[in-house]
Amino acid sequence: MSVELSQAGQVLTATNLSAGYDGRAIVQGVNVEATPGNVVSIVGPNGSGKSTLLKSLVGVVPVLDGTVAIGTRDITNFAPEKVATLGVGYVPQIDDVFPPLTVKENLEIGGFLLPRHDVASRIEAVLEFFPRLKEMMTRKAGKLSGGERKMLAMGRVLMLAPSVLVLDEPTANLAPMVATQLLEEYIRGFADHGSTVLLVEQRAKAALRISDWTCVLGGGRVVLAGAPKDLEQDPVFVESFLGGGAARR
Amino acid sequence: MSSFGFGLMTAAVLAIATVGFTMQFAVTNVLNLAYGSVMINSAFVAYYFNKHGMNAWITLIFGVILGAVVSWALNKFVFTPFQRRNLAPITVVIVALGVDLIGTFGLQAIVGGGYVSFSVSSGREFHILGMFLSGMQLIILAICAVVLTLVHWLLKYTRLGKAMRATSANPNLARNSGVKTQRVISTTWLISGALCGLAGTIFAMNTGVFEATSAQLYIVMLLAAMFLGGPGEPYGAMFGALTIGLATEISAAYISPQYKEVVAFVVLLGMLTFRPYGIFGSEKTN
Repeated sequence: MSVELSQAGQVLTATNLSAGYDGRAIVQGVNVEATPGNVVSIVGPNGSGKSTLLKSLVGVVPVLDGTVAIGTRDITNFAPEKVATLGVGYVPQIDDVFPPLTVKENLEIGGFLLPRHDVASRIEAVLEFFPRLKEMMTRKAGKLSGGERKMLAMGRVLMLAPSVLVLDEPTANLAPMVATQLLEEYIRGFADHGSTVLLVEQRAKAALRISDWTCVLGGGRVVLAGAPKDLEQDPVFVESFLGGGAARR
Repeated sequence: MSSFGFGLMTAAVLAIATVGFTMQFAVTNVLNLAYGSVMINSAFVAYYFNKHGMNAWITLIFGVILGAVVSWALNKFVFTPFQRRNLAPITVVIVALGVDLIGTFGLQAIVGGGYVSFSVSSGREFHILGMFLSGMQLIILAICAVVLTLVHWLLKYTRLGKAMRATSANPNLARNSGVKTQRVISTTWLISGALCGLAGTIFAMNTGVFEATSAQLYIVMLLAAMFLGGPGEPYGAMFGALTIGLATEISAAYISPQYKEVVAFVVLLGMLTFRPYGIFGSEKTN
């Protein structure tokens, strides 16, 4: 893996965070800290506020209470374009590419904040990392398969060599093999090279495999948090997220 | 063949107007029904300078500037405040309709109800591919070709153009990528407004005589061309304009020219019924 694709991480902290739409809190009183070199995953049932939490961290959903910080800098309610300049790369769960734009144009938009003369070399670096994208540079993003599209979405955020990666269900709708490769090879790889990774993942087992810390969200609140090996011993967690059978193994 | 020539001229003017119109719609999410009013106001400003002795082709610059400034101001002081209030999209459409009426009849109150015309030489006539086209018409066609090429270059090869397309496709993701979408939207209003002003002025020149309400039904042609090509699709707009321009003028040779807008309206209804996302658009656009 090319080290230069992402930068050494920064600490991303949410403190007592409440966020939601039209003044109505979807997540309430959430505390999360993602540190460099680690993958922090957030799991929970549908509607528990996982995506809303991530969106509030990157400025897409308003924070109603509490703070968001990068290192010591308070970035609460910063505009998304401002958050991007601070080295935070965000891949949403859906609508993660620009469908009418070609793969190359998607990457160029990913590198929008770069000096013009650096864009081509960054694209080369991203293509080294995702060589399959090379063959489809002139293809419109809307025509890509699920896996290719996710690769492009990741490639787009890597254009700015982010120090913090915020990923919302990156394996959604992917074939199991592709999903495993994405999680274990790429996403874990970013953390191993020093980046900070905050990940929402529906498949708890897979998330636990690559995480250093996991938070369980329920009803918009953190109901459980811990290292994966501890959570795997928690009967309630096992029953709810790993399937009852796992507890008996 | 002469109706084909007329159709080509109508299509040329319509193409410039529709590209600006659809660009506004795609990037800013406003269906600006006041577009025709800005067109005719721009034409009158250009006419004012022409009346005072300026060469008609040079007055185009003033039409372009007025179109750009008024469109930018409309967005800044009228549409954006309404959009920020998170009202239903139809509210902004109704506001645009109100602005159109104020713009058109306000102009009429100022300039009166009479017809006026640019003082511009038609030049000598050329016989091309069976069509008789005047020198003035050839200049308009050339302007259209240059403008559409520039729009293509802007959208395809410049940072701004790519940011405009990205903002149109997914504004939140564009912001997450560092694109200052509000700035892109303001610039889009300036550029599309400039196209609106240019289209209005050459529309008035090409029509010969015009008055304050001359572009009132033009919105039907714009909507038909836009929906034919695909809402928010600049290349679709070019195709739509060509088709609507030719269809309306050729039909005028067989039925009364008064029904030109009716032909456009029939096309519009047909597209809305059978393929509302247009020929170049996708269901997602719709």
